Amino acid sequence: MVKDKATVVVVGGGATGVGILRDLSMRGIDALLIEKLDMVNGASSRYHGLLHSGARYAVKDQEAAKECIKENTILRRIGKSCVEATTGMFVQVEGDDPDFVDPWLKGCAESGISTRELSKEEALRLEPNLSRKLKVAYEVPDGAIDGFRMSWQNLQSAARYGGRYKTYTELIKVNIENATVKSITVRDNVTKEEYDIECEILVNAAGPWAGKVAELAGLECNVSPSKGTLIAFNQRITNHVVNRLRKPSNGDIFVPHGSITILGTSSITIPDPEDTSTSWEEVEELMKTGVGVFEHLRDYRILRVFAGSRPLYVPKGAEGGRNASRGFVTIDHEKEDGLKGMMTICGGKFTTYRLMAEKFCDVLAPKLHNTAKCRTAEEDLVPEVSEAEKKAARQYFPSYGVNLAATRLGVEKFGDVVKTLKEQPETREVLCECENVTMAEIQRIAAEPTSHCVADVRRRTRLGMGTCQGNYCAIRSAAVANKLFKNKFEGCSDSLSDMKNFLQARWKGITPVMAGKTLREAEMTRGMYELLFNVNGGRRG
Amino acid sequence: MELEERARDSADNCIACTSCIVACPVTKANPEYKGPKLVGPAHSRMHFSDPSDYEDTLMLCSNCKNCDITCPNGVSVSTLNMLERGRYLKAHPEAHKPEDKMLSHGFEMADMLNKIPFGKSLANLGMSIGEALGVMGAMGMAPERKTPRYASVYFRDLFKTIKQPSSDKKVLFFPGCYIDTNEPWVGTAFVQVMNENGYEVLMDNRFVCCGSPLVVGGYLDEARQHADTNVAIIQEYAQKGIPVVACCTSCSLMLKNEYTELFAQSEMKEAAKNVWDAFEFLTMLAEEGKLKKVNIKSDHKFIYHAPCHLRAQGMGLPAFDLLKAAGLNVVNADAGCCGMSGSYGFHKDNYETSMKIGQALFDAINADNYHKVICDCGTCRMQIQHGTDVKAVHPIEILAKAYKKA
Repeated sequence: MVKDKATVVVVGGGATGVGILRDLSMRGIDALLIEKLDMVNGASSRYHGLLHSGARYAVKDQEAAKECIKENTILRRIGKSCVEATTGMFVQVEGDDPDFVDPWLKGCAESGISTRELSKEEALRLEPNLSRKLKVAYEVPDGAIDGFRMSWQNLQSAARYGGRYKTYTELIKVNIENATVKSITVRDNVTKEEYDIECEILVNAAGPWAGKVAELAGLECNVSPSKGTLIAFNQRITNHVVNRLRKPSNGDIFVPHGSITILGTSSITIPDPEDTSTSWEEVEELMKTGVGVFEHLRDYRILRVFAGSRPLYVPKGAEGGRNASRGFVTIDHEKEDGLKGMMTICGGKFTTYRLMAEKFCDVLAPKLHNTAKCRTAEEDLVPEVSEAEKKAARQYFPSYGVNLAATRLGVEKFGDVVKTLKEQPETREVLCECENVTMAEIQRIAAEPTSHCVADVRRRTRLGMGTCQGNYCAIRSAAVANKLFKNKFEGCSDSLSDMKNFLQARWKGITPVMAGKTLREAEMTRGMYELLFNVNGGRRG
Repeated sequence: MELEERARDSADNCIACTSCIVACPVTKANPEYKGPKLVGPAHSRMHFSDPSDYEDTLMLCSNCKNCDITCPNGVSVSTLNMLERGRYLKAHPEAHKPEDKMLSHGFEMADMLNKIPFGKSLANLGMSIGEALGVMGAMGMAPERKTPRYASVYFRDLFKTIKQPSSDKKVLFFPGCYIDTNEPWVGTAFVQVMNENGYEVLMDNRFVCCGSPLVVGGYLDEARQHADTNVAIIQEYAQKGIPVVACCTSCSLMLKNEYTELFAQSEMKEAAKNVWDAFEFLTMLAEEGKLKKVNIKSDHKFIYHAPCHLRAQGMGLPAFDLLKAAGLNVVNADAGCCGMSGSYGFHKDNYETSMKIGQALFDAINADNYHKVICDCGTCRMQIQHGTDVKAVHPIEILAKAYKKA
């Protein structure tokens, strides 16, 4: 049954997909994005959140390096509230190859990436936790970028131009007539309803799932999912992005985000992009390398560990894994495979998502006889909350975190939340104490049509992502939020099961690192939920 | 300095268990204060980053240290609060209260008055007039309180007139500001007690204020200078085998624990080993059988209040135990914080909270017909005398009197 139609349907709610939706919408093309789960579920949030300066690619891939520095500058401008302009450091410690420095400096200079040499003293003053075995340090314009926020803001921007999106809507069939895509069949993963969406062009932006989407159209697309494992530490170990100045390898990058630091990554080729499992061995490998840069690394508390799959595109006969290109490809299936109305975009990296969308849409738009120019670099993603609004809001916020809430929520929702805080003082209660999320904010996000469970609220508020990993906020927020969800999942329709699922997902990231300080926290969680509340329904005898 | 010992990093040990909120007397009295874990530990996870979006209630912590005492994971919660407060005030000097400078720099005023003929008497007169005219409130001070009066002769000068038998066994006295400039008789009592036990007491006027009031006022850089000065002197005497003893539990806590927690220097940790609280030192003598025995004979009933900064030292209640063992009829009030917490209760804005916190202690004191309250801390004694009609004395005064009688 045909229930919807759009000129272009984009499959995949990661950075690539939302970038394309925004680009198409701004060109005046009617577009709809579908995502099988919640937005930003895959590689676009499961990575270190580094806004590359390009310096990491300066030696091996100057093309990528040039793209990065250009996009880095653009994203800092259009996505102010998503970027932490921390600047970055490239460091060498005793034992690192000194011969790598000159070619790297040359590569940076040729790519237009500014570098500034720091004396050992200055580097240690800026980052007192760095290893005393530090040899050389350079400053580069790296930054940190919030994948969740950046993607949601792209959607908000697209929506202003008529772009639409549906979450928990999974592509299950591509309907082809006369070698032309006519429509797609999707399943609503919340209500389980199946229906058709008519479209002129189907865009496969499914990242590591691109191979699977291509298969539904009877095509082949050789995507090699490459798992990257990352460690989140409980505090800001560093205030700069810190990169090891050497040939890129595992465990080289530290990125500070808000109250945490992320260390990454590994690169393991896996058959199934759904595999986000992690192991103690993977953690150990990252720690072994990381300890070279921050010598006390093992003393810091690990919050959790997580993994995502890079969508590496491997042309036939080429090498995968660490050595595969981080570049991206646009495949016009009409040219390649004789299937009209379908295009695939694959590969690339978060930092260049906007440029990828631009280049891709430059190919797509003419097919629809649209000659509009790309404007995504010119306009801010969302209007910023003004200082005056923040100042006025401060009197209603029960705790610090006005800035955090303002960047998370954006003007409109921030205004709503402040109004609720003002009119209903009971909503000033901080439900997530570690990340400072108020009841009002949770209510506001829970009432969004895209929110179906507490985990959806988590991805948009940072609820449960701090020190206690959901210990206190799970029970509080499930009770508050579950009432507000319009459509609920099977198996988490009541507050209790929603809470259990939420905690289970937190637990997944904790179990591989359950030792030392992390174990203490875990044991308290277990004590509270398993012993005090008996959530697993244990019985005597 | 090992990472584990740096207060800053001890935030990593916080499992957000909320014990500190339960134990916090300020949270209980003033619900506006969200509680310790949401201030120091939460903020210090963000360390190095821009302190522009800060918890206003950072200013409400009294630094009484009940959070540190209760924390099951050894997090220096209150020190983290102070570090974050200092960092915030450094970036936002406009957030200082007008009275902060005065309350944190009492030692400067005291030194200056000592140099002016009749300075102290004039200052005391000024305070009486000020209180009568109600101008204290305008300065940000709680108008309900009587400002402590300066002694006509400071202990540093009084000490020179005390005749002591010379001895090979020596201790260096760290008087602290309050005993030095307001209650010199406590210092005199200390000298008497030590002399009775065969010790000669030394003074070194290079000592400066321990820095505790500077820390709570957010003046961390100055506190660091004070710490460096005092630590160098303590180490100098340590080399000569002369221990440093203090009668004020806030001073001794500062010298013993807080310098290291705040500034993480190994020499501070080393110097701390040479510092004792007076009754901790006397208890050590008693355990070695070296304390001169005394039997306190008194028909009166006493009540003892253990200062928070004594309990934070984790050494039991040496004064209470020693006096009780010596025969004094004394009960432990066991009523929590008095609410004064150094200069905290002097701030006009904190007065109500301060008195609310102290109520349990006042009730315990008023519950029976106690002759005197015994307490090791000067500002606790001030609060007790403000909140009840019972006189409060330092335990060393009781012991000195008992030796004198014997």
